[in-house]
Amino acid sequence: MDNSVLLSASHLKKKYRIDRKNSIFAVNDVSLDIFTGETLALVGESGCGKSTLSKILMQIIKPDEGTVSFEGKEISSLSERALRPYISRMQMVFQDPASSLDPRMKIRDIIAEPLKAFKIYGTQAEMNERILELTDMVELKEDCLNRYPHEFSGGQKQRIGIARAIAASPKLLVCDESVSALDVCVQAQILNLLKRLKNQLGLTCLFISHDLSVVSFIADRVCVMKNGAICELAPAEKIYSAPEHEYTKYLLASVYCP
Amino acid sequence: MNEDLLLEIKNLTVSIQKKNESIPIVKGIDMDLPNGQIVGLVGESGCGKSMTAKSINGILPSVAKVTGGSILWHDSKDKVTDLVTLKEKDLRKRCGQDIAMIFQEPMTSLNPMMRIGDQIREVLRIHKLEKSPSQSREQIIKMLESVGIENPSLRYNSWPHELSGGMRQRVMIAMAMISSPKLLIADEATTALDVTTQAQILKLMKSMCTKSSMSALVITHNMGVVSAICDYVYVMYLGTVMEQAKVSELFSNPLHPYTRGLLSSIPKLSGNPEYLKTIPGNIPVVNKKFPGCEFCIRCSEDVQKCFFENPPLKQVGEDHFVRCHTVSL
Ligand SMILES: Nc1ncnc2c1ncn2[C@@H]1O[C@H](COP(=O)(O)OP(=O)(O)OP(=O)(O)O)[C@@H](O)[C@H]1O
Ligand SMILES: Nc1ncnc2c1ncn2[C@@H]1O[C@H](COP(=O)(O)OP(=O)(O)OP(=O)(O)O)[C@@H](O)[C@H]1O
Ligand SMILES: [Mg+2]
Ligand SMILES: [Mg+2]
Repeated sequence: MDNSVLLSASHLKKKYRIDRKNSIFAVNDVSLDIFTGETLALVGESGCGKSTLSKILMQIIKPDEGTVSFEGKEISSLSERALRPYISRMQMVFQDPASSLDPRMKIRDIIAEPLKAFKIYGTQAEMNERILELTDMVELKEDCLNRYPHEFSGGQKQRIGIARAIAASPKLLVCDESVSALDVCVQAQILNLLKRLKNQLGLTCLFISHDLSVVSFIADRVCVMKNGAICELAPAEKIYSAPEHEYTKYLLASVYCP
Repeated sequence: MNEDLLLEIKNLTVSIQKKNESIPIVKGIDMDLPNGQIVGLVGESGCGKSMTAKSINGILPSVAKVTGGSILWHDSKDKVTDLVTLKEKDLRKRCGQDIAMIFQEPMTSLNPMMRIGDQIREVLRIHKLEKSPSQSREQIIKMLESVGIENPSLRYNSWPHELSGGMRQRVMIAMAMISSPKLLIADEATTALDVTTQAQILKLMKSMCTKSSMSALVITHNMGVVSAICDYVYVMYLGTVMEQAKVSELFSNPLHPYTRGLLSSIPKLSGNPEYLKTIPGNIPVVNKKFPGCEFCIRCSEDVQKCFFENPPLKQVGEDHFVRCHTVSL
């Protein structure tokens, strides 16, 4: 891990109305840095604001207040057009592999989507070569490219989703509960794949999960959130061996381990 | 294993009916559910866990059928009923009274047109457990509270769509538990919940088993859940039980290569290796009858015999059984 900051968030706030009288802060004054090459995990109970925060970082939703910088440049105030080159460098792997892939598209076209959208390859031949390279990276066979999503298992679908996410050579990969829906065997395979890709490609990763054991395996640093705010952010070894915040201790005490 | 049984599954076979074919997906399993105990059923996705559970209360999808074996319900020491041979009407009645099931997909099993409090009250009504309106209301609110729903008296009047996924799952659990069933079948009931809520619900299940001598069949691929609440556990692979043991025994002395593979695939809170040890490959597609051990193509052990002879389930210790050629007594 080197020490340059890839992404920096400053005083982010996002409020949602729940009824006429009440509203809640889904994200409440969050500031954090993500360093190049690290895996930062975001943990906390359901509804604490993990997904909302990640969407703000990826410019999918606008915060009410606060700013986001990417590679030192503030991007949260950019127009959609000026934002495009930055967007291609942040990609996402979703929770539900089934619903995140268009059932009418062949695997080849799913993986090619970002390559086309960001006009990364000039010729068809170059693009095909890249698609084969990606297929190989996520350990799928070449003959899968002409098939459709429904022909694949959950784990294979998630591999396809990962291939699509890394196609445009992003700097930052955001994984929102990307392994939660998989059974233990497939989950282990996908976790190993993510870790290997991270090491190979020098990816920076924001890894959202409510499974603290999974986080312990993959994360360099852990950010614990509660009610939209950060309560503890520290290196993973520190969080697991000497948690400081009461809430972190409470979360860890709730985990059952065989 | 235990004389005090509630349910005894014997040589159960469930098959999918296709045109002129009958493909077995649960292949002659034996399973005991003792009174007041929690039995775990684990295994990879698609190994037949839900099918096993659904054959108990007769809710298999129309393509699947019990094609062999029996499911014996012990009414008392000397009265036993085979649920497989019961008429549909009698089975419905019995299941309604004594068996509650929490499903894998909670979103589809709540009535969107009914406030959640009223839905739970409906359960009380069906089981003829209704007291005065205010007493029932109080009982329901207490149940909602015990499954971790905040502001239960306000939530009583909520519609299902106003709740988050985790909250709906907890309502389902409340509905299943409020009738004090004799048997609770929980199919991945806590998988979607975060750790703190999960811990709370598992504690509640456990206390219902000890206090009101409920039995439970807990289906999960979360080994943490198994270690936390189960007394006994069955490990299933491709419709066959590969290993069964008391929970403490299974975790301290796993013998089947599949069980060991499952356990090593799980990341821990500390001291993880750089890469997890995984079971290579995927569950193979159900194919023609294979004479050998179904796990042999993915197995780390390399024994010739496994390819042409299916090992029997051998007893290797007190209440510990393994189906593997490489394990000797
Ligand atoms: N579009 C929206 N409109 C209204 N409220 C919202 C919206 N999106 C999120 N919220 C609320 O904001 C809070 C944070 O939600 P968020 O999805 O970020 O949580 P999370 O930490 O990702 O939870 P989970 O682990 O369940 O995915 C929740 O209380 C949620 O109900
Ligand atoms: N409606 C159906 N028609 C045909 N095959 C089915 C049907 N439902 C399930 N199956 C097959 O039966 C086998 C056992 O399925 P089952 O639902 O019992 O698995 P499971 O162990 O509960 O898996 P999971 O952990 O994914 O819930 C699987 O191979 C599945 O493909
Ligand atoms: Mg989320
Ligand atoms: Mg199932």
